[in-house]
Amino acid sequence: MLSVKNLTKEYKNVTAVNDISFQVEPGKIFGLLGPNGAGKTTTIRIILNIIKPTSGIVSFEDKPITNEFVNDLGYLPEERGLYKKSTVINVINYFASLKNLSKNEISKKADYWLDKLGIANYRDNNIEELSKGNQQKVQFVTAIIHDPKLLILDEPFSGFDPINQQLIRETILSFVNSGKVVILSTHQMDTAEKLCSDILLLNKGKEVCKGNLTKIKQDFGTNNVKIEFEGNASFLSSLPEVKSVDLYGVYAEVHLKKEVKRAEFLRKISDKLLINQFSVIEPTLNKIFIDAINISNKK
Amino acid sequence: MNKILSVAKWEFWEKIKTRAFLISMIVTPVIIIAFAMAPTMLENHESETTKLVGIVDESGLYFAGLQEKMKEEKLPGDLPKYVLVNLTPDTLATSDENDQLIKISDKKVFNNKINSYLLIKYGGTDSVQLQWRSNATANYKDISNFEKAFNEVRIDLKFKKEGIDPSLKGLFTNQVSIQPIKITEEGKDKESDFLTVFFSSFVFIILLMIMIMSSGGMLVRSMLEEKSNRLIEILVSSCTPTQLLTGKILGLSLLNLFQITIWGLIGIALTGATTISPEIFENIGLDLVYFVLGFVFYTGIFVGLGATATTEQEAQQFNSYISMILILPIVFAISAIQNPNSGIVHILSYFPLTTPSIMLLRLNISPVPLSDIIITISILIVSIIISIYLSSKIFKIGVLSYGKRPTLKELINWVKEE
Repeated sequence: MLSVKNLTKEYKNVTAVNDISFQVEPGKIFGLLGPNGAGKTTTIRIILNIIKPTSGIVSFEDKPITNEFVNDLGYLPEERGLYKKSTVINVINYFASLKNLSKNEISKKADYWLDKLGIANYRDNNIEELSKGNQQKVQFVTAIIHDPKLLILDEPFSGFDPINQQLIRETILSFVNSGKVVILSTHQMDTAEKLCSDILLLNKGKEVCKGNLTKIKQDFGTNNVKIEFEGNASFLSSLPEVKSVDLYGVYAEVHLKKEVKRAEFLRKISDKLLINQFSVIEPTLNKIFIDAINISNKK
Repeated sequence: MNKILSVAKWEFWEKIKTRAFLISMIVTPVIIIAFAMAPTMLENHESETTKLVGIVDESGLYFAGLQEKMKEEKLPGDLPKYVLVNLTPDTLATSDENDQLIKISDKKVFNNKINSYLLIKYGGTDSVQLQWRSNATANYKDISNFEKAFNEVRIDLKFKKEGIDPSLKGLFTNQVSIQPIKITEEGKDKESDFLTVFFSSFVFIILLMIMIMSSGGMLVRSMLEEKSNRLIEILVSSCTPTQLLTGKILGLSLLNLFQITIWGLIGIALTGATTISPEIFENIGLDLVYFVLGFVFYTGIFVGLGATATTEQEAQQFNSYISMILILPIVFAISAIQNPNSGIVHILSYFPLTTPSIMLLRLNISPVPLSDIIITISILIVSIIISIYLSSKIFKIGVLSYGKRPTLKELINWVKEE
């Protein structure tokens, strides 16, 4: 289990991370979410032991993270890039040797992963000769080849086509299922929604909301309805019962105030709109993200 | 330690494969050899056509003798090197007429009737003045040929006039010159001439410069690449910055030792062919010590500064600042050779940035006391440790900061940060 307690990182003029705490259990994917500049990268760097926090403790399996622990860390940074003039196998060798893997292990595992990700043919090609997606696969291999106990993935799916996204997703899930601790940092809320069981949403270095995703959704609001309609629905946002509206042409997602009865609301609007379908929905993570960030920005 | 070796191995093998390295490995010795051989080659390259040289002899005494002497100068194929034309009229009376004659002769040069002419001004009895008049820069070989011939003719004439035995002529023409000998404690006398000392020291200083600049540039560029594609984050999440930095310096130093070895082999091969004087390799052991220490020291500085660079242009700037410091010893080189024990030379040899190059110079000029060698090597070793320590502090923060270049104040803060 990875445990982060009261983490704070102050730079001269800004507090990049302000007193955040969370725990990541093995066998689950933890989503580290937030807009640009929220403090995700700083948090990741502190966990990776690249920078020291101003205060707070990071520990893994109840031991503080030390220089020896780096061999059990896997990291895929958001911005990709590899040594362009070097061959695929040499690059993998180099990074794996930095994780203290023996030569034998490296060649066995490199062959396994290159084969599994469908890039075995490019083993001896220079990186620059590979397509962008294949380069990303090589980088993915360098992050996981040493079978890390803690894997941190920053936007692992960006730049992949749907087929490769699925391949990467399956690989990540196999890691999770073998009891690894996995942190996923992303802007793609639908991805996070499908993969993460727990999340931490950061904004301006502070926690905005965290915990079990199902519970967050329940807390956030059960009073959401989806209305498919014909006609002009722009009046919806001005109704007193309505907290917020997302209009999408032929349908709208409406967040009602807690005390509002859905049946009464339907009756009220059915005079003004031809309603094809009226259903209760869960808020999407995307919705939670936008609303929570807006609220936190207003504060 | 394993990780340091992994980094060193990577830096060594990946750099050795680059085109830039191969080019510098081949081109550098070619340039140096070209520079070393250019003067000799230029000297030997002479025009192969006969030159028409006029003689204006106000005294009327020397033309015949000169013509006789110049017949000895031959071009390949037994053609005469010079054909002499007497431009002097039979009678010359007034100085006005002399001036007129010079004007006419000058014109002949301009009209390409003759290549050039020798003006022998006669001031009566033994006083003569010579001018070589041509419309291009005078060829020093021609001048020295005529000078030599004229002086011999002059001595011949004088001897004849005074009735002196012509065999005594050798006393005047063959001058005795002083042979400089550098004495050593081992009792082995060595011929030491200025040029040998100059070149043997310079070859090493220039090699050091070229190496530091080319590999420093290579290092900074590769760090910039790692920084711009965020590879550095993977690297520093796999090993400590100090390991990374030490590995890079180690790998690069090995790479350059390899390069020196190759160059050394080329040098030895050329020494065998007597193109390069063997004296260059006289102090090779100590030369190499200073060379390697100097290289490691400068590389340490490069790593630290390189970590703060955020663009290629900034990297270029660092490179040029450091080259300037490297060139400094060359400014002092001449005075160091002339006076190896001067105060400034001593001071500069204790200043770590100039220690390597000044010591390379001093070693070849005069015996350096053992105490000085020990002190300067210690200074270099301590400087290397300090430079790597400071660089690793700057490196730690520098490699993770993008965008704006840090100010000096920020750099000092980075060094202080725990």
